[in-house]
Amino acid sequence: MDSFLTAFFSGTSQGAIYALVSLGLVLVWRGAGVVNFAQMGQAMFTTYIASQLIQNDYSYWSAFVIALVSGAILGAIVDLGLMRPLTSRKNSQLLNSQSMRTTIPVIASLGILGVLKAVAGILWAGEERGFPSPIAANALTIGDTTLAITGFDLFVIGVVFVTLVLTTIFFTRTGMGLAMRASALNPEVTRLSGIRVGSVRTLSWAISGTASSLAGLLVTPKTNLSPNTLDLLLIVGFTAAVVGGLNSLAGSVLGGFIVGYVIAFVNVYSAPENVFLAILVFLLLALFIRPQGILGSKEVRRV
Amino acid sequence: MSKVKTHKVIGARSTRLAIIFFIFILLLSMQFDPYNQYQLANISTLLIAVLSITLLTGASGQISLGQGAIMAVGGYSSALLVTKLGLSMWIAFVLAIFVSALFGLFLGLAAARLSGPYLAGTTLVMALAIPSVAIRFESLFGGDIGFTVDYGYPPNWLTNLIGEISIEEWSLYVALPFAALSLFAVLNLSNTRSGRTWRAVRDNEVAAALAGINIARTKVIAFVCASALAGLAGAIYGFRGLVGPSVYSTDLSLLLLTAAVIGGLRSIGGAIFGTFVIVFLPDVIERITKALALPETISNYLPALLIGFLLLLTVIFNPRGSAGALEHIRHARHSHKH
Repeated sequence: MDSFLTAFFSGTSQGAIYALVSLGLVLVWRGAGVVNFAQMGQAMFTTYIASQLIQNDYSYWSAFVIALVSGAILGAIVDLGLMRPLTSRKNSQLLNSQSMRTTIPVIASLGILGVLKAVAGILWAGEERGFPSPIAANALTIGDTTLAITGFDLFVIGVVFVTLVLTTIFFTRTGMGLAMRASALNPEVTRLSGIRVGSVRTLSWAISGTASSLAGLLVTPKTNLSPNTLDLLLIVGFTAAVVGGLNSLAGSVLGGFIVGYVIAFVNVYSAPENVFLAILVFLLLALFIRPQGILGSKEVRRV
Repeated sequence: MSKVKTHKVIGARSTRLAIIFFIFILLLSMQFDPYNQYQLANISTLLIAVLSITLLTGASGQISLGQGAIMAVGGYSSALLVTKLGLSMWIAFVLAIFVSALFGLFLGLAAARLSGPYLAGTTLVMALAIPSVAIRFESLFGGDIGFTVDYGYPPNWLTNLIGEISIEEWSLYVALPFAALSLFAVLNLSNTRSGRTWRAVRDNEVAAALAGINIARTKVIAFVCASALAGLAGAIYGFRGLVGPSVYSTDLSLLLLTAAVIGGLRSIGGAIFGTFVIVFLPDVIERITKALALPETISNYLPALLIGFLLLLTVIFNPRGSAGALEHIRHARHSHKH
């Protein structure tokens, strides 16, 4: 029972972080038709910014906010500086090819990832460093019994919960959120009804940048920070997004928690070195059984 | 009649080009010191892997971020065949081609259902799972470290023929014939019916299907061919000294893709150029950083930074790679004359 609770709580708090990563991936996929493999590179970079600020005696919370804002800016820069000029090259023979239209942005995002890692390595020497958490990671106790959950875990779950509520309100209650959903569904019609599809697209990159930046801030107290630490998080987030449905926002969150539990239970009941094997098997199973994801809708091929 | 004729001409052309490549590298190696001869051996080996990407992504339009994983299949299988069964290295290399082609068949069956980003992500997960697999089956795969294998010694008839052979030269002599053969195979393949079918599927699946092409089968065949090449590259790459998770890292997979993109995804000459760039650029940069006495943090990350920038610039300004740029210049000159 004890190990079950350990797995359950760690699955919940880790799953919350995976949900953020997966949400970031799905936002950009829906908004721009790109799976952004540089996403956690961006998060790594903003987390380094926060770490640098904290070293320079800024408070944790001001560093936290600045990291989130720079996550949004970085996301917007990637879209405006790279992805938009890339996809607007209409006369390119290479981009006229159906399969290349999705492949080239993937390659571009890998280029960004490489550049961000190298720049972070040059600026911050590339050694592993710790990252502080605002709340001590001690196990909570009620009376004499020690719970299998730490204060920091609760903090993570709380922050992600608030983020998800805000995101839901944004997408269902605000005009901008509705415009984003509309242009994900049908960009042509959305453009005709007077919405600036380009700005909406950049906004989805910015929000995705913030979400992944938040994920970086929440995960590094446990994993330490180096140019490469967040790579694995991207893969887990990708698996979560595929499991939940690459074109469903709710699905991406659901997928995050599911993958969180899978990893936590493999970790507790099997061995940590099996985690990656489990992810691979899980991803392949998901792709074979339900390629569109749990909450995803079937892709319609445009002829 | 005319069809048969073109085939013959193309066959002659690819034979000629492969031989020219072989002789060119051989002549180049004679000008080089041992270290650079070793780098030429690396180029020959990695070229085979880059060609597999040219085939898979350039010709058939499927993207793999995990060619390193398929290289690992070739590397582990050939190394096991030599160390456990005592087979000769050459037979092991050939068998590694078949093993990885088989692996590619299974992978391709899964991949044919996936498009673009799904395939990219799945192959990346596969590449990252290698250490996991190696540790899970430690008794067979040697865990985190892997195991050591090498090219052995050059046979007597060869030393009798051309005299003393250094280790570096021997590694080049092992890799180069395979590189030339792979080059020959890929050059031919892209001009056969299969090659044309792949391009049709790549450019427009619906149109290809309407023309009577079986899309899924075409994709699987492309995957099998590319995996066979990658597996061969992995086998030769492992026999430089070590077969282990660190040799077939994700970084290697991404570096190979970079080489293919920089050179031009659709060009075989581009693949050769790209491979030269990824192998020699770090050396050139190291020489420059040493001359400028740059601090270590910069010189450590400068190659990665430049290669990343090169990739981005290629994708934005010249998605067809250096081969595309060359063709563009040639076209411009041509139209100028007329």
